[in-house]
Amino acid sequence: MENTSQFCHERGLPFLEARALSKTYQVGSSTVHALREVDFAAMQGDFVVINGPSGSGKTTFLNLISAIDRPSEGEVLIQGVSTNTLSERQLAQLRKDKIGLIFQTFNLIPVLSAAENAEYPLLLQRRPKIERAERVRSMLAEVGLGELGRRRPNELSGGQRQRIAIARALITRPKLVLADEPTANLDSETGAQVMDLMRKLNEEHCVVLLVVTHDPAVTKYAKRQIRIHDGRLIEGGQP
Amino acid sequence: MQIKISLRNVFRNRRRTAFSLAVIVVGFVVLVSVLGFVEEALLSTKTSLADESGALQVATAGLFDNTSKGYDYLIDPETLARVVAAAWELEGVSSVTWQLNFAGLVGDEAGSTLIIGRGIVPCSDLQDYECIVAAGSPLDESSDREAVLGRALARKLGVQPGDRVNIATGTVSGNFNAATVSVRGEIVYALEELEAQLGLFPISFVQRLLKTDGIERILIGLEDVDKADAVAAALQQRLTETGIPLVARTWKQLNPSYESIESFYRAFSGLAMMGIAILVFFSVLEVLTISFLERSREIGTLRAFGTPRGRIFGSFLLEAASLGVIGAALGAVLSVALILTFNAVGFTWTPPGAAIPQAIRLGLSARVIIMPILTILVSTLLSALFPSWRNSRIEIVRALQSV
Repeated sequence: MENTSQFCHERGLPFLEARALSKTYQVGSSTVHALREVDFAAMQGDFVVINGPSGSGKTTFLNLISAIDRPSEGEVLIQGVSTNTLSERQLAQLRKDKIGLIFQTFNLIPVLSAAENAEYPLLLQRRPKIERAERVRSMLAEVGLGELGRRRPNELSGGQRQRIAIARALITRPKLVLADEPTANLDSETGAQVMDLMRKLNEEHCVVLLVVTHDPAVTKYAKRQIRIHDGRLIEGGQP
Repeated sequence: MQIKISLRNVFRNRRRTAFSLAVIVVGFVVLVSVLGFVEEALLSTKTSLADESGALQVATAGLFDNTSKGYDYLIDPETLARVVAAAWELEGVSSVTWQLNFAGLVGDEAGSTLIIGRGIVPCSDLQDYECIVAAGSPLDESSDREAVLGRALARKLGVQPGDRVNIATGTVSGNFNAATVSVRGEIVYALEELEAQLGLFPISFVQRLLKTDGIERILIGLEDVDKADAVAAALQQRLTETGIPLVARTWKQLNPSYESIESFYRAFSGLAMMGIAILVFFSVLEVLTISFLERSREIGTLRAFGTPRGRIFGSFLLEAASLGVIGAALGAVLSVALILTFNAVGFTWTPPGAAIPQAIRLGLSARVIIMPILTILVSTLLSALFPSWRNSRIEIVRALQSV
């Protein structure tokens, strides 16, 4: 992966902010408050782990931060720009250029090979073919799967799939990477390998990393820990 | 990549794809068979009508409109020569001949029956009776007091080639005239009823029998029957310009029933196309809806990475189009093979009232193949519209939560 040291110089500057973020769902006649007036900020180079019991609002929080969902109230600012002011097309552009997503269930496209899955975000950015090939080659090498690019997801182990998912999330050199339970479907050894990789990427490429997890083993990798309970955010400080 | 995803998704669930393709291919083959049958039926009807009546006919308006009295429709030899010369000057004319018809009695000492006598120019390029001669031989240039009778008429009279029969009719001036002719041959005719009344004679004999040097109508053959309207218009213009008081009529004008037959067949084709389109539409709709719903999480993932809705929509449409193209291609290959085999076997049937068994053939032309291709592609794409639109509009969070 190309060094993004230019971005590293901005370590510690504000990147992401959530202001009074709330999300409510209507279930029948009752209103469910998934998130209540959450205030949050992340600096460039941050590695934040988000803990909390099931149904506490962690994933909802991640969805709002990643601009795949809109808040009921409050706002998310990414580099000072409120996502509330952006159209669907602009939100798609934001996700495409600045945000990388890693899912608990990997969410690889089964009909594409590992390399093609990693390449997909670059195609959305209309990168030239040569650049795409070079970035895929180097990214797969970085996640340790340089030899497995031709394999389809169903021919890979869980750990290998998650590495491909990480490669896909990082290949566009996003400034923000959001991971929802990235180790939940992996054994402890593979989970540790994946988290080592993520920490390395955070340190070397100054990526803002927000990881939702239940796993205490993951928490120790973070620089900062927050906890969400009943839709409210509780700052946890250092893990 | 989007194309790659679409194409690979087509074969992702092979069983489901095989079902969709089977529906498309069967629908395609049925449609090609119907269109091929209709095309061949219309072509053979058109050809036989144009052969029988000529692509064009020239005669008096009174003859065509049935308003003539007696034989006042007859065309004199000088006018005949001028019309024939004018016809040959037109582009696309392949043959010209003329006829003089009469109604009379035919028989011998044992009895007589009605005859529709047709005076023809033997060995005319336009009307080749040789191929329908069932016994004896057709009239030739040396024929004079000879006749070729319909097979049913010959049987009714109990005569065969070499026998002699008497012909009686009224002359153009209203007097009675009769003559004895030798039966030269027997012909089979498409319509049994006409076969029992028809007799062919050399036109020179009929003219002597009717005591006239005139003829009734001029028949013109064309290299391309479909150009009959244009040639008729050009000929009519020549006739008017040169002061010849005759009118030119096309084979379609002379056989108004053809348009009804054509309309019926076209409506039949249209219904078949609609039926197949509906069948393909609902079959593919069901398969695509299930297939697309199963991929909600993938759609959510692609959208989460910034794929625009339009691209998702296009990708699903492309998938349906690929299915349609593959199905249509398979259908086209199978249809051509089936038509060639069917035509090679050579099935025949005898329609009610017909004397000659007719070949059942399936026409094979660009139209026969292209129309089903368009029908399949349009119905496949239409069936994909709603599920594609629905999937492209799905909320990302909801899509990602799908199992």
